[in-house]
Amino acid sequence: MVRLNVLELEKSEYTGGKSSLCPGCGHDQISNNIIQAAWENGIQPEKIAKMSGIGCSSKTPAYFLGKSHGFNTVHGRMPSVTTGANMVNKDLSFLAVSGDGDTASIGIGQFIHAIRRNLDMVYIVENNGVYGLTKGQYSATVEKGSKKKKGSENQQAPIDLCAMAINLGCSFVARSFSGSKKQLTALIRAAMSHRGMAFIDVISPCVTFANNDESYKSYNYVKANDEVLHILDYIPHFSPLEEVEVPEGEFREVNLFDGSTLRLETVAADHDYTDAVSALSAIHQSEKAGSHVTGLLYYDDDVPTATDTLGLSETPLVDLSEELLRPSEDSLEKVNSRFRS
Amino acid sequence: MPCEQPYVEALGTKKTMGKIVNDFVINVATANGTGSQSSNLIILHSMFEMGIPVSGKNLFPSNISGLPTWFIIRVSDEGYQAPGDSTNIQVLMNKDTWMKDLEGLEPGTIVVYNEDVKLPVEREDCVMLGMPMTKMARKINPKLGRLIANMYYVGAVAHLLGIDEDAIGKAVKAQFKGKEKAVELNMQAISEGRSFAEENWEFECQYCVESREKNPDSFLIEGNEAIALGSIYGGISMLSWYPITPSSSLAESIIGWLPELRSDGDGGSTCAVIQAEDELAAAGMVLGAGWAGGRGMTCTSGPGISLMSEFIGLFYFSEVPGVIWDVNRVGPSTGLPTRTQQGDLSMLYEASHGDTQHIVLIPGTVDECFEFGWRAFDYAERFQTMVFGFNDLDLGMNRWVTSGFKYPDGPMDRGKVIRSQEELDSIANYGRYRDVDGDGIAYRTLPGSGLDPILYRGTGHDEDGIYSEDPQVYHDAMARLKRKIDGAREHLPEPVIREEENKELGVIFYGSMENSIVEIDDMLEESGLSVSTCRVRALPLHPEVEDFIRRHERTIVLEINRDGQLFGIIRKEFPADLIPKIHSVAYSDGMPPRARVYSDMILEVLREVS
Repeated sequence: MVRLNVLELEKSEYTGGKSSLCPGCGHDQISNNIIQAAWENGIQPEKIAKMSGIGCSSKTPAYFLGKSHGFNTVHGRMPSVTTGANMVNKDLSFLAVSGDGDTASIGIGQFIHAIRRNLDMVYIVENNGVYGLTKGQYSATVEKGSKKKKGSENQQAPIDLCAMAINLGCSFVARSFSGSKKQLTALIRAAMSHRGMAFIDVISPCVTFANNDESYKSYNYVKANDEVLHILDYIPHFSPLEEVEVPEGEFREVNLFDGSTLRLETVAADHDYTDAVSALSAIHQSEKAGSHVTGLLYYDDDVPTATDTLGLSETPLVDLSEELLRPSEDSLEKVNSRFRS
Repeated sequence: MPCEQPYVEALGTKKTMGKIVNDFVINVATANGTGSQSSNLIILHSMFEMGIPVSGKNLFPSNISGLPTWFIIRVSDEGYQAPGDSTNIQVLMNKDTWMKDLEGLEPGTIVVYNEDVKLPVEREDCVMLGMPMTKMARKINPKLGRLIANMYYVGAVAHLLGIDEDAIGKAVKAQFKGKEKAVELNMQAISEGRSFAEENWEFECQYCVESREKNPDSFLIEGNEAIALGSIYGGISMLSWYPITPSSSLAESIIGWLPELRSDGDGGSTCAVIQAEDELAAAGMVLGAGWAGGRGMTCTSGPGISLMSEFIGLFYFSEVPGVIWDVNRVGPSTGLPTRTQQGDLSMLYEASHGDTQHIVLIPGTVDECFEFGWRAFDYAERFQTMVFGFNDLDLGMNRWVTSGFKYPDGPMDRGKVIRSQEELDSIANYGRYRDVDGDGIAYRTLPGSGLDPILYRGTGHDEDGIYSEDPQVYHDAMARLKRKIDGAREHLPEPVIREEENKELGVIFYGSMENSIVEIDDMLEESGLSVSTCRVRALPLHPEVEDFIRRHERTIVLEINRDGQLFGIIRKEFPADLIPKIHSVAYSDGMPPRARVYSDMILEVLREVS
């Protein structure tokens, strides 16, 4: 039996073209999770806009959601293009994919300002610590002491994009691993249900240039050092597709904008995702320990979005009639006479 | 002391019983941040109020307070608006430039100076008229003395030239709209200045003003504000901008007018405004807005265009509409940020790496600033590309006359956008980049529509928008883009041609040179030449420009830059047989074009080639 989502669409309605990335690339797994999340959430494919910059990760919008428009823009500038599109059509669901080079180096300014405006979008960084398309140079997110397949150990401190996002007041900040299908899908689904900037930093091993055990972002290393904050279950606002297991023991529920819920089951110490200091502390501790803390790090549902603060028309600007876009002839006469007086 | 006698025309100048009427230049030297701009605008507006043809140029520094500023007022019944060859009345307020200003004056200049500056006034060949402006100002308001001192020279100039008190009153009221106290205080200073001059200066000024019939519809406005209004009437739906002189006032003017003109009736704005983090982001936002189906725009100056260049290539190659206004200041690099130039033209035309070519609209008057302000969006959507507006500091930040802006003459042109499945089905073999009409312009669909969704990209793509590195596909795509922009030539604003019967000399020029061309033309004709002019209003060049060159024995391309940038474009694009009779005259020193400089250079070039 073919499975259908809440819109009675098959999953194939959410797939894209064939990937041209290296076999086994973590990015392809993330693409699969994006397809899964969008399908399970029952989002109309045409209402999604796929956005990306330049790099291996930024190529992936060609490999998922083939029924959505998208824009593979220029290096590090995806946030500004998304901003402009969001201003004129706030009803689109923006789903953006970027990389660690695209976001943490050339595009760090636009990343910061998109967060500052709380742009209503899902922003996924597929983070492998190297520039893949230019054949394996270190990026700015690589950990001190980490070593890629060829060349010497990295000596510089990394930029932690989650810590930066939290410091900037980002309304949804999470970290995950391309190999953690369940956690990542739940986080992407929750991000899609959020209104405002939902940032997910996904560690995604580069199988070609940095999958050796000395690389902190290799499969083996991440598997061995994944410090999971909580077990995640996403419960959609409509009738759930399948029975959701109610975890025993302690759990917290995050009520998302569209009425869906993200249920967090505590694994070890309870993490307070509403407290920026706790989130920063968790990141800091894990960096010190050489591990990767994953899960929902920070969440704040009380930040106005970029379009909220501008007092725009209820109707998306792109749908306004010419009468509303061009003031009347009378009004121009008034303008002229004001200058004359 | 108004001139009541009727004037008679003498050779060259109009005289009333030995007086020179409505034909002189005032130069006011002050320090930035002392409020002198208000005083200067009051002089300008009061004469405008009397129907006198007058223009003003603000030469200001890149500074908030303290550095020297000059304001040049040209009064000319001939309608000349260039700064003029020399100064007839000099107002000296600024101690820092005092000596140099004084030295540069020609014998006979009338000098109105602030005695309280206490610097030497040793020019026996000039008429020196002093007034203790600061002391008098402090008496009426000790706190604001420094600002109000400037109003005393308004009174002095009004006395010398015979400017109507009513006209002054109107101009003061307009300047300090709604601020009763300010109006009163400034009026008092002006009238004290006038009385002091009447009582203490035993001098009859040879220059005077005489009322002319004022066109009741006319008013003065800055080019930037005209573009702002044009954009608003063009249906701008997203403005992104990053502050930069001299374009900030364009963005700020849009922001100022939006609440009144662009509210949806329920309190919502129909245009989003974002102050971007830099010019790169501003351009990216315009791209995003255009891609999503909106009318996005940004405004900047040369340094901003340099930063936006990467995105400009993406506009061109992915074929997304958008509008970028460049208010040109002096380059290269940071250059002279508050001075004027036409130095960005060739950069705009071919901005970004690889082969590109962009539509550039070039207004020469404030009426065209308004018109091209709204038309830019129509061209952008019609040709699915980024359209530049090219303005400069002179036209953008000085006030020019209009008799009122004209409403757009037709509905918006939204270009080839497919909005329904039916429309999509009606096109056989549809592809985002397939030229089905033969004009190089393909049809597009919008995000959110679900109609033929594609992933837009700056990488090579085939007619369906799919990634391709195929040599033929790339070649054909670039050839179509060339055909598309070439096809725009005849649709863009045609040149404004003023042609003499005798086709001896043609002068091609553009933009703010419009304000000096009449005087340049008159100077050239004084030397016996027959001069036709052709004002280019858009790139790529309209076919009429080539015809104009063909009809004339010789053509000069006249520009406010060093290298003759339009000349370069003409030389590259026009047939080789025309080139030997086209010559470049280009000059730039940051100042608004002085007619004499350019007419002398033209004569020099003509001597060399004949």
